[in-house]
Amino acid sequence: MPQPLSSKDAALFRQVVRHYENKQHKKGIKTAEQILKKNPNHGDTLAMKALIMSNMGQLEEAFVLAKEALKNDMRSHICWHVYGLLYRAAKNYEEAIKAYRFALRIEPESQPIQRDLALLQMQMRDYQGYIQSRTTMLQARPGFRQNWTALAIAHHLSGDLEEAEKVLTTYEETLKTPPPTSDMEHSEAVLYKNTIMAEAGKLEEALEHLEKVGRRCADVQAVLEMKADYLLRLDRKAEAEAAYTTLLERNPENSNYYDALVRAKGLSKDDPKALKAMYDSWVDKAPRGDAARRIPLDFLEGDDFKQAADAYLQRSLKKGVPSLFANIKALYSNVAKRDTVQELVEGYVSTPPQTNGSAEGQADKDSTEFLSSSHYFLAQHYNYHLSRDLTKAMEHVNKAIELSPKAVEYQMTKARIWKHHGNLEKAAEEMEKARLLDEKDRYINSKAAKYQLRNNNNDKGLDNMSKFTRNETVGGALGDLHEMQCVWYLTEDGEAYLRQRKLGLALKRFHAVYNIFDTWQEDQFDFHSFSLRKGMIRAYVDMVRWEDRLREHPFYTRVAFSAIKSYLLLHDQPDLAHGPMAVNSAGEDENERKKALKKAKKEQQRLEKLEAEKREARKAASTGKSADGEAKKEDPDPLGTQLVATQDPLKEAMKFLTPLLDLSPKSIEAQTLGFEVYLRRGKYALALKCLTAAHAIDASNPTLHTQLLRLRKALDGLSEPLPAQVAEAVNAEFEALLPKSQNLEEWNESFLTTHKDSVPHIQAGLTNRQLQKPDSKSQCENELTATLDSANITIDAALAGLELLNEWGSEQAAKTAYAQKASSKWPESSVFRLE
Amino acid sequence: MVDILPLSSYPSYIDLLPSIQTCNITNLPENYFLKYYLYHALTWPQLSFVAVVRPKNGYRQNGGADAYPKVVGYVLAKMEEEPTDGVAHGHITSLSVMRTHRRLGIAERLMRMSQRAMAESHRAQYVSLHVRVSNTAALRLYRDTLGFQVDSVESKYYADGEDAYAMRMDLSDMWVDWAKIEREDRERAAKEEKDGDEGEAVGELGKADDKKDQEKMVRVKVGRGLGVGDLVEKNEAVQAGN
Repeated sequence: MPQPLSSKDAALFRQVVRHYENKQHKKGIKTAEQILKKNPNHGDTLAMKALIMSNMGQLEEAFVLAKEALKNDMRSHICWHVYGLLYRAAKNYEEAIKAYRFALRIEPESQPIQRDLALLQMQMRDYQGYIQSRTTMLQARPGFRQNWTALAIAHHLSGDLEEAEKVLTTYEETLKTPPPTSDMEHSEAVLYKNTIMAEAGKLEEALEHLEKVGRRCADVQAVLEMKADYLLRLDRKAEAEAAYTTLLERNPENSNYYDALVRAKGLSKDDPKALKAMYDSWVDKAPRGDAARRIPLDFLEGDDFKQAADAYLQRSLKKGVPSLFANIKALYSNVAKRDTVQELVEGYVSTPPQTNGSAEGQADKDSTEFLSSSHYFLAQHYNYHLSRDLTKAMEHVNKAIELSPKAVEYQMTKARIWKHHGNLEKAAEEMEKARLLDEKDRYINSKAAKYQLRNNNNDKGLDNMSKFTRNETVGGALGDLHEMQCVWYLTEDGEAYLRQRKLGLALKRFHAVYNIFDTWQEDQFDFHSFSLRKGMIRAYVDMVRWEDRLREHPFYTRVAFSAIKSYLLLHDQPDLAHGPMAVNSAGEDENERKKALKKAKKEQQRLEKLEAEKREARKAASTGKSADGEAKKEDPDPLGTQLVATQDPLKEAMKFLTPLLDLSPKSIEAQTLGFEVYLRRGKYALALKCLTAAHAIDASNPTLHTQLLRLRKALDGLSEPLPAQVAEAVNAEFEALLPKSQNLEEWNESFLTTHKDSVPHIQAGLTNRQLQKPDSKSQCENELTATLDSANITIDAALAGLELLNEWGSEQAAKTAYAQKASSKWPESSVFRLE
Repeated sequence: MVDILPLSSYPSYIDLLPSIQTCNITNLPENYFLKYYLYHALTWPQLSFVAVVRPKNGYRQNGGADAYPKVVGYVLAKMEEEPTDGVAHGHITSLSVMRTHRRLGIAERLMRMSQRAMAESHRAQYVSLHVRVSNTAALRLYRDTLGFQVDSVESKYYADGEDAYAMRMDLSDMWVDWAKIEREDRERAAKEEKDGDEGEAVGELGKADDKKDQEKMVRVKVGRGLGVGDLVEKNEAVQAGN
């Protein structure tokens, strides 16, 4: 029950509300205080003051005040509503919903409270609650189309397509005359209903509906797409053919249309002549397009392929299309095609095709460009893993650069060749040269920065980036990259720190990306109301469904992998919390360790001091305002010292792991990392679940092979047996992967024999062998070093082998021998240099 | 092979937004929060397009690594919300193509798709855009290939102090004849109801209501402090103030 105010104070209270709505915060607070002077315990006024304070960024103080307000007036819907709004601001949606419900119980007719509740229910995907709220709102104001559409959305997303369609139809029937074509809201609602019909599987009906109403819909392209899609799915071939022809005439660069057209025409893959004829007709219709020329290379074979490839390659090389190789390499899984392409382009550089007729100077210029493009193509060709010959690649790139010294792309390729040589220092150097060829281009700047990071040079990377960032932002260039959600940079920067074992900074970056994903999830909130007002419902529903699987994105999986690896490392080597230290090798004694630790701590302090000085300098220089004009605080933990000081790294890892396993269960790396976390946490059933999933993805995966043995050993060596029920379930499930009766030694040796040509598999087999028989270690080390002679070893696999020696706790001598041998096999590389 | 796909209409590729944002910040100095991209995608879903490398085994249906093909270009477009000249027109917020994928006509194709959608879906009289005066390649595309004209020079338009050409191009030749569609629909309806129930004067009746229901125009901050949060709140403030 609202506490009564004098009429003068009541007028003041209305003013407070108005000030709040107009965002005149200071005036609002002042007026509220005027009321409170006479009525110090007035709940509603206290609540309004709290609300205004929270909008001014004083959320904590606001909560204190809001609680006081509630204490004074438990029966006020305003107090409860404000309490809910504060929880919403604090992103504690569950509590906010509870508070709104209390408010609504007191004031069931309140539209604003009902609306706020509905928005949160949507955000939390409480569809049953949302349906209820939306039903109430519709009953209160049935004249608004928005309210009908909203209820339909609620039913649709909850899975009740029939009810959703019914709601939309009910509203449509109230329209006595069809709205004008310019009515966007109507047009979209009609198409929305149509997609619901199609989603429910009623394709015939949807098609009929679309034929009738589609011509009045504003989104002409969508109507054409939907119609074509339905027709093809209904197998109405002639009409589908016409529909896709229309779409292709509007956009000849969409391979999906060609696929559909082939199906509609009933053309067979075994009839390349007919297929080629179809594509040729589209080359005639859209002579400047690429798709109709490129697609036939996928299905043509033999001489037909050679002829088509020749024409395609020459045309693109003459035009100097830089993406030509990227577009061609997809063919290389077919060895014959790969060799044909190589033969053709090698031919172009040894005897360049004749140019005929044109004025002499121009012809010279053209033939030079053709030649340099061809060398550039071959450089990429020999740099590609399926056709790699780095010596040849370097020769061709140098020739291309000689002919066109200003071509940024050529210089970029040179850097990439160095990367594949395993020399990240040279690669960064060459990419920097490419950057200097066009300093105004951010693309090449980004590449140069990335290559600095790959070479673990975080400072130089940031220095490059700062040429295009707003450096007056709080936190400088790095602050701007955070603010602008530059996920790729934060991820690469963090991974560079992880490689250097600077776990604080690594975790700092990974958490930054994690928080960006949180922001992206939060971003949808405003659209729950905004999109209803705009009426663009199809796009909104697609957005909601996308948000539900937001963290399935490779940007998330990648950062989650790295974060989990960091936490595992921190768990295994807690000393790393104080900074990078030499690997804990077996022989190191306690004194050595203490000495190293002391040194690391000293370095940590030095860095902290440096950072504090930098911060002071920035504070003095900048205005402290960000782009949106709000004052932004400096990060209190720029080095990630607090993150790395966690007492429970594995628990922190779970934060990254849970969405990963939920949304990317088909990723074998997610499963094997899940195993590592669960095993260390002693959660054997969950660890086994990961292995079962990994086994279903790739039963012969090398990581899985070692993890199976490690789980077996862990279960055999338990200090306390598992509870009987768990043990029974675990044993039963494990039996399917690695039967108890299996002789482990035989199992491992047979794995080694089966996969004797794959270095990663040999590495796994050797790891298992030295795990089972520690006295076989030096033999295993020798065999590991011998894999360097394997014909098909890659430099990455070789590097993994060196890591493995660290894992095994091998002596320095074994590591040196391995590294030296690798260095002489890859003389251009820098990655095997021992520090 | 590069495909040109709709961003958030049918079929929807809205899950490519993070990749589009990355493409933008890799190529251009003018960057935006993801929410600003969302705002475009959800307000004018017909107008934005994305250029992606077709995955080797085609696009996925559900899950898998091919679900997120590589984005090599995009056009982010909108309708001007408060046109100073009072004429409905489109605006190109951002357009870029990765340097490695130039000379394929991708930018041209993206522009043409967006322009047509502006005309067909929103009856845009013209489309406008800004381009750096030093960006000769872009200027060539807009002026020579697409037919834009320089409207004016905006001094120090970009954050680094460079001037911009404000360019525009008429789109009215691509408009759909709505009056004709409405007339035909009326005739068809009349034919269906042979009883002679003449429901004439359809268009005008609806219009008054339509105006009333129409959302108040919403203001967007140009530059970076962009987000629908601002928009929504501002909008409410305006209503409260009235």
